[in-house]
Amino acid sequence: MNTPDQLVEQVKQATDYQINRILLKEKILEQLHMPYENGMFKLTPALLAFVSTWPTEILYLEDVYENPIEINKQVFLVKAQQHYQATMNFWHTEHAKLKQIRKV
Amino acid sequence: MQSSNKSEKSKGIIIFAFNTEKIDYVKIADRASILATRQLGLPITLVTDVDSDPEFEYDQVIKVENKGKNYRSYMDQGQIQWRNLDRYMAYELSPYEETILLDADYLMFDNSIGKLWQQDFDYRLMHTNRNIDGPAYSLMGELTHELIWATVILFRKTTKAKLLFDLVGRIQRNYNYYKKLYLCSGPYRNDYAFAMADRILNGYTSTAYAGIPWSMMTIDYEINSIDIKDNMFVVRNKDKAVVIPKTNLHVMSKEYLLSDNCKQLIENTK
Repeated sequence: MNTPDQLVEQVKQATDYQINRILLKEKILEQLHMPYENGMFKLTPALLAFVSTWPTEILYLEDVYENPIEINKQVFLVKAQQHYQATMNFWHTEHAKLKQIRKV
Repeated sequence: MQSSNKSEKSKGIIIFAFNTEKIDYVKIADRASILATRQLGLPITLVTDVDSDPEFEYDQVIKVENKGKNYRSYMDQGQIQWRNLDRYMAYELSPYEETILLDADYLMFDNSIGKLWQQDFDYRLMHTNRNIDGPAYSLMGELTHELIWATVILFRKTTKAKLLFDLVGRIQRNYNYYKKLYLCSGPYRNDYAFAMADRILNGYTSTAYAGIPWSMMTIDYEINSIDIKDNMFVVRNKDKAVVIPKTNLHVMSKEYLLSDNCKQLIENTK
């Protein structure tokens, strides 16, 4: 049987789900950045939706460094969707693992 | 600004490590180098003392006479000795045209830094940091500008990058003046010097938008152990455990970096 001291030690070693969740999100924010044609883009649903509905094949987008980057719509979309999907899948998988871990 | 598209450019990492009376920084650099070369596959140059004896197989070991010392408060241990005064020499000492200047206490568990090379830039600095138990302080003092973390710096051999490093050297040599100008306190810090130099070089304006666009993750307390569970790190100290994804870590606890657990962690993340 655990003594009170041992129980206190165990509680101290429990982990806070909310902190773990935020730290995982920090990693995802980094992973959502995708380099393309000398630019760096943070992939968001809004960006993907905007590009997919743009009527011409070539467009210019502002990247995270505030530079206008020429975008080939189809090339960018394929790359960005794959990158976004892989990152979100990773986030979902890792988040599911976090939920399994004992929390306080 | 120079183009990043020339494949013939040499690329590598440079780490500074000078042992102090209490801390074997060269051993810490050896460990960080194992991870960095594993993730990025780049050659590493170590800048160290004349009498250092590194174990890692470095691309080059540059031995310099370094008598400099500075002192900082560190994790409630009072004033301890640091020898990080020569960082501004990285531009001149780096044998590479494209260089990642790393602190020895930065452990690379992913290759995210590598994707930054795909843009044109003179240098990139780490503007934001997050401690694992909460946001980190972001100013050089209560009434002054944002600091920059000199833990990771990417630079190319360009005129502007040279100006940055030269200016950091000038700030270091005249630190009493600059720390008053920027309302900072305490001893010399590379983080502050790079922040001041970057701001001056960019017309006295904030340049956060031009930095590395994500946060560095820092563990700023004593660590008992870091274990891998389901491809995640479980970081434990005497009071708590935190679960973090496998990501690059700035580990401030030098005791941990020299521990057997850290050695094991590096071996287990192959």
